[in-house]
Amino acid sequence: MRRAIGMIGLALVLGLAGAGRSEQTRPPSARPQRDGAPILPVTAAELLERVRDGKARVTVVNLWATFCQPCVEEFPDLLRLEKAYRDKGVRVFFVSVDFDSELPAVRRFLRQQGVDFPTFLKAQDDDTAFINTLHPEWSGALPATFVYDAQGRLRHFHEGKGDFALFERLIQDVLKNPM
Amino acid sequence: MKRFISVGIAVMVVAVIAFAQSMPKLKPGDAIPSSVVNVKMLNVNGERLSIADVKGPKGTLVIFSCNSCPWVKAWETRIAEVGNWAQKQGIGVIMINSNDPTKSPEDSYEVMQQRAKERGFAFPYVVDATSDVARAFGATHTPEFFLFDAAGKLVYTGALDDNARNPEAVRERYVKNAIEALLAGQPIPVAQTKSIGCTIKFRERT
Repeated sequence: MRRAIGMIGLALVLGLAGAGRSEQTRPPSARPQRDGAPILPVTAAELLERVRDGKARVTVVNLWATFCQPCVEEFPDLLRLEKAYRDKGVRVFFVSVDFDSELPAVRRFLRQQGVDFPTFLKAQDDDTAFINTLHPEWSGALPATFVYDAQGRLRHFHEGKGDFALFERLIQDVLKNPM
Repeated sequence: MKRFISVGIAVMVVAVIAFAQSMPKLKPGDAIPSSVVNVKMLNVNGERLSIADVKGPKGTLVIFSCNSCPWVKAWETRIAEVGNWAQKQGIGVIMINSNDPTKSPEDSYEVMQQRAKERGFAFPYVVDATSDVARAFGATHTPEFFLFDAAGKLVYTGALDDNARNPEAVRERYVKNAIEALLAGQPIPVAQTKSIGCTIKFRERT
């Protein structure tokens, strides 16, 4: 019960109210919210539910944090990828694993990067469960990027920093070979 | 068809490169890597120590840590408590910073000295000057814990406990439980866990 109350409180703090309308890629013409796009608290299981909602041909999940230099460095490439492929049914779920106390820094970074679609914040304390639910091969090191197909099947996993060319190859593989 | 093949090959090349760069992490039952067990590392007190030097009569706890990672900072007080306690139980303890300070300035030797003093580490906190010790363990991020028994076999690897951000919500004290089991001659209750942490900023190989 306390956890449920805590999650509701966190959701309110994070501005969940504006988030319900769509977790999908926003159309390019839509304007971002004044305070930035919503940041939604998620557990790994909740994240996978969203991945499997059948609303995208490819979903890229990127685990990042403001304190993680390689994450910050690769972030613009993923954002460029999202912009280049959103019309082809590709979406990117950015999941910050920053502590709640770092939320202002997360918001600031997302705003600076011009992120205009909802992103996520890890809301699960047990790291082992969080990591293994996403992928048993993931050591927990950041950044980590997962590429899922339309059915929510994990097709590619990359631990460590990537770049546009790498991410593009991975999503093109899924787009061309939907299985 | 040709494009399919070329994309397939590209993906395979990426996968192979990614695999080649990652080192296999030690698993329970593995020995302390012989290639690095005698590597001397500079301690915060100016001594040079190897893992072999700090081996305890009842086991050895090797911690890969740093000064800069928020996960380390969240756990640091608990790391000091558990490390200091373990040492009193006859477990040799060594904490290793493998980060390249040119990539992470907060991981300088001077800040290590300051941090050890502030936190009251009674155990060595040393510099892995080539990052090869971390590579040999397959350590990928900080903090990571490797507990070996008296014979030098790995009995636990992973996180300190199950809640970095909130000490009061900890339910499983993995490292402490593993040490207590080791001392009592009991099976280790949980031999492998994971935690999110900061990627080790490896020094480039020369």
